[in-house]
Amino acid sequence: MRLKRKFIAAAVGACLAPIAVVVLPAATASAHGYISSPPSRQANCASGAVSNCGSIIYEPQSVEGPKGLRSCNGGLPQFAQLNDESKNWPAASVGGTVTFNWVLTARHATSTWEYYIGNTRVGLVNDGGKQPGATVSHTISMGGFTGRQKLLAIWNIADTPNAFYSCVDLQIGSGGPTTPPTTPPTTTPPPTSTTPPTSTTNPPTGGTWAAGTAYKAGDQVTYGGSTYKCIQPHTAITGWEPPNTPALWQKV
Amino acid sequence: MRLRLLVALAAGLLTVASCGTGGTTAGSTVTAPAFNDSDVMFLQMMIPHHEQGVLIVQLARDHDVRTAVKELSAAIEVTQESEISDMKHWLTDWHRPTAANPDPQAHTAHGGMRMTDPDLVGALTKTAGPEFERRYLDVLTGHQHSAVELAQTETAEGVNPQAKELAKRIFESRTAEIKQLLAFTT
Repeated sequence: MRLKRKFIAAAVGACLAPIAVVVLPAATASAHGYISSPPSRQANCASGAVSNCGSIIYEPQSVEGPKGLRSCNGGLPQFAQLNDESKNWPAASVGGTVTFNWVLTARHATSTWEYYIGNTRVGLVNDGGKQPGATVSHTISMGGFTGRQKLLAIWNIADTPNAFYSCVDLQIGSGGPTTPPTTPPTTTPPPTSTTPPTSTTNPPTGGTWAAGTAYKAGDQVTYGGSTYKCIQPHTAITGWEPPNTPALWQKV
Repeated sequence: MRLRLLVALAAGLLTVASCGTGGTTAGSTVTAPAFNDSDVMFLQMMIPHHEQGVLIVQLARDHDVRTAVKELSAAIEVTQESEISDMKHWLTDWHRPTAANPDPQAHTAHGGMRMTDPDLVGALTKTAGPEFERRYLDVLTGHQHSAVELAQTETAEGVNPQAKELAKRIFESRTAEIKQLLAFTT
């Protein structure tokens, strides 16, 4: 990160001296991956199923730490909430064999994927340094464990000293389905009713437009003193305010 | 990983964004740059990323996915197409190429493989049945995470108000999209 800024500063400086290169705090680490289903703790945070998770909601893919850790947060203090056992982490109901699905944002060359319950490694997939495929799924036997368990999945990168960590809370039944249920425990639509922390895009003038509302084509709203007609059905989200999204809203 | 990124970034800066520190500066004593190299790189990387995203969400049209997934996908498609058009206009106004390299794959090396590889789309295309929706959601979620990362870099390092405002909206809307996508997944 620091080096990158130096490059930019150098390139910019070489061209034109009198501009200030403002160096802000690091934006983010680069990208990686986590388990999406059954939902990992960071997935439950980013989906809104669990609240008050801190900054993990913006980068559930970034739980990266040195290899060999056994913690849900990869040793990163900014993601300490992932270790908080007092949080009401929902446990996915599964059978004795579970298929874990990963979201990847960078397909790092991979040495192994490990799955732990307590100190027992219940699963090991050896990729031998290969780049993972388009999507990654592993079907893992729970090794006879039953009841509520916290599973730790570890993605060991081949060409760095690091690994990515995902904890998944499971309610393991016996003889149940071999894959996790595809329907969420709550059959409600996606939790779009809560607004992201930055609500600064809603002008004080307001209007009837509201994030979380499902709009049909033809619906009309007011926003910032103007009236808009919905031209593309969607559930409103912050960042898709009518004046910013001519593809969704037509000014009346 | 990081080294490759640095080399690619440096090369990109030198070849593409030559002296991109802003429009007309003559005659004014206080020269706030209209845009800088980070703005240019943000747009040049975001455009092919968006285009790839449009290809991904179009897959939802002809596959067996839930209505709500189709609807979100269609909304993502039209909003990203609109943003692509804006970004190309800005680069044209700035007299900068709309792509750092005509081969979108060249960007893969840049942002730590921020692009979703074409073979991902290919793999999705060949997937059918209920398996499609799960894979589709995972691929699209990963893709939008990368957009959030690009936007954060622009927020930290860009100077152009329009581009920074777009980055803010991308950060917010993609985070909210991911929230919906993960809720579908789990």
